[in-house]
Amino acid sequence: MTDERRKKDAITRRDLLKAAGAAGAAAMIPTSLDGAPVEAIRPVASAVTAMSNAPLMNLTARETEILAAMIDRLIPSDELGPGALDAGALGFIDRLLSEAGSTSVDAYRSGLAALDRYSEYTRGGRFVELSERDQDSALIDLQTGGAGGAGADFVGSSGGFFNMVKSHTWQATFGDPHYGGNVDFIGWDLIDYPGVRMRVSDEDQRLLDAEQLEPVRRSAYDYAMFGTGRPRGPDLDGEG
Amino acid sequence: MRVSLPVSVLGALFAIVLMADVVHAQMPATFIVESPTMRTGEMMPRNYSPDGRNVSPPLSWRGLPDGTREIVVICQDHGAGRPPPWVHWLIYNIPGDATGLPEGIPFDPADPMPSNVMGAAQGNNGWGLAMYRGPAPPGTSLHHYHFAVFALDIELGLPPGMTRDEVLEAMDGHVIGEGSMVPIYSRQPAGRDTIPGGALRRSGSDR
Repeated sequence: MTDERRKKDAITRRDLLKAAGAAGAAAMIPTSLDGAPVEAIRPVASAVTAMSNAPLMNLTARETEILAAMIDRLIPSDELGPGALDAGALGFIDRLLSEAGSTSVDAYRSGLAALDRYSEYTRGGRFVELSERDQDSALIDLQTGGAGGAGADFVGSSGGFFNMVKSHTWQATFGDPHYGGNVDFIGWDLIDYPGVRMRVSDEDQRLLDAEQLEPVRRSAYDYAMFGTGRPRGPDLDGEG
Repeated sequence: MRVSLPVSVLGALFAIVLMADVVHAQMPATFIVESPTMRTGEMMPRNYSPDGRNVSPPLSWRGLPDGTREIVVICQDHGAGRPPPWVHWLIYNIPGDATGLPEGIPFDPADPMPSNVMGAAQGNNGWGLAMYRGPAPPGTSLHHYHFAVFALDIELGLPPGMTRDEVLEAMDGHVIGEGSMVPIYSRQPAGRDTIPGGALRRSGSDR
């Protein structure tokens, strides 16, 4: 890859993440596609969230492999920094499917199987076997809905499945780490999010405008006014 | 008997005559647009649709008028969109001496354009994406896909990501030649007997 190419890639991805993060991080508690607010997911201690390599409870190993490959194309790990997988998106989605998003389990399983079939039909290999360019092209066809009529048996529209996974990946990467994603504040670092602050002084605002403000890397629930009365995860609240 | 017409009617007649002269004077020349893989009135190969790899088709043209400085290609479906047409592809800043577009123009702006159309840029299609996305007509319907090629007497110098309307506005008054081809398409879903991935790959001459 040439320096010029790398520069163009960086600009493109930076712009994308800025746009995505503006919505994701600012909202703090975004809503999942099926209407269940992410806050309905019990917050977890950060030690519990470091589970990206653990088997998922709601998906098979094959399904997990496809989902991981898809997530890795949505927010890839590259020269700009770690991506969604590093941010713990797999574990976040698995936890979502166990709780507030449990009604989406079937949509995930059927959608991932359809994506694999679609890749076979149109590009001659399983999704995980395709080149990055072909993976991107296949995902664009999902996004635009074109994959839906190709005989791969997407339930509903392929765009609906794409948007569900994208939405959950965004939430996992840019949401508050309290909910199990954004491990080590990877997502906030990617978009230069200044962090959760209880108070913003004039000096803070001036530094922010000058792009010199030191970011705060602290969960909102580490502040007393948000943390009071909330469970801190299964290892602390005695629940299973 | 002498008939006198109101001034407004005379003015309108004069304007019609004047318009006719202008239209005649600016009538673009026509030229030939072809493709090694597509023909007007015939089915497009599935590889140019989401039933295949969804790459852009190759096009060629000949007989462009002298003075052509830039070429613009628009692929649109007049049977879709609210309002029609639905834009599938928009590519401009193509050098005036180019004789065609190869198959598979990159969809990633980070990838370089082919050397013979270096500098070309893609505008937004109906999905708001600056790339080619092929036909996906609903159900079993059959649609016509109009590949229109325009020869311009100026270089537009437009940035990537322009809309069809923006490009048409920039082209206004500068089209000195045009040509087109209109292949058709209806969805060609894979059969269940092709699961997983053997027969389709072996039998697909158009892949």
